[in-house]
Amino acid sequence: MSVSVGQALPPFAIESVSPDAMRDWSTFLADPNPIHLDVAVVKAKGLGDRRINQGPINVAYMMNMLMQAFPGCRIEAMDSRFLDNVYEGDKVTASGKVTAVDGNRVTCEFTLDVAGRGTVNAGTATISV
Amino acid sequence: MDDLPPAPDVAGTSLDGTKTFTITAEENAALCRSTGVEPAADGSAHPIYYYIATQVAMGKTVAGVCETCEFDVDDGPMMGSSGVKFSGQLMVGESYKVTGEILSLVRKKSRKLGVMDVLTYRLRLHPAAGGDAVAETDNVWVLPRKELAA
Repeated sequence: MSVSVGQALPPFAIESVSPDAMRDWSTFLADPNPIHLDVAVVKAKGLGDRRINQGPINVAYMMNMLMQAFPGCRIEAMDSRFLDNVYEGDKVTASGKVTAVDGNRVTCEFTLDVAGRGTVNAGTATISV
Repeated sequence: MDDLPPAPDVAGTSLDGTKTFTITAEENAALCRSTGVEPAADGSAHPIYYYIATQVAMGKTVAGVCETCEFDVDDGPMMGSSGVKFSGQLMVGESYKVTGEILSLVRKKSRKLGVMDVLTYRLRLHPAAGGDAVAETDNVWVLPRKELAA
């Protein structure tokens, strides 16, 4: 696989973040926080009027982008910062670019963006390809 | 900051788990599909299990971690960042156990959030059968301290 610094990574998009997935992730994470399940709670807390995606799902979208960009790769390290919430119905797109190449080790920077609102997560990763 | 009480002294609190976490093929497939991809054919689990397995099998619940920090989980802890280093792949059908500890709890003032405590904790995911960690994660949560707002 030919990889070069500055190379853009193919974006990975979710057309509409699903509240059904949030319900599933409440089970996966053993965390029944109602802001992911109940619109009334989100409104009562002044956090908006749609359910809020669990943060680790957003990380998973960015991992999917990396793994689809480099099929068969192994993520060695990854850091991500949570800058804003993702809500049900949002269209999210993970994208990134290569910032360094050292043998079979590739370093990337990436973001997760919500259509109309901008970047909600950002980070870096080192991948063995 | 001089007028604020210090954050609770919780650094070093153990988060070692007592139970194991098994990544099942059924759950891994459901999880992958919920994020828009199919499960891997080589038996590897989605790498986001670094977060899920450590959270579920650590020695305290999310509410329990908050309680240790003298914070009510209903006040809304927020994820600040998450970092992970993998030394191996997480595999479907494998069982893991967790060790870890709170690294720090630091009280800060933020223009956006007011007074907040920044919690940093580290968790390691080990094969349940024993051996070195296959993943180590440092997570940062922001705990807004509304009761300390001016």
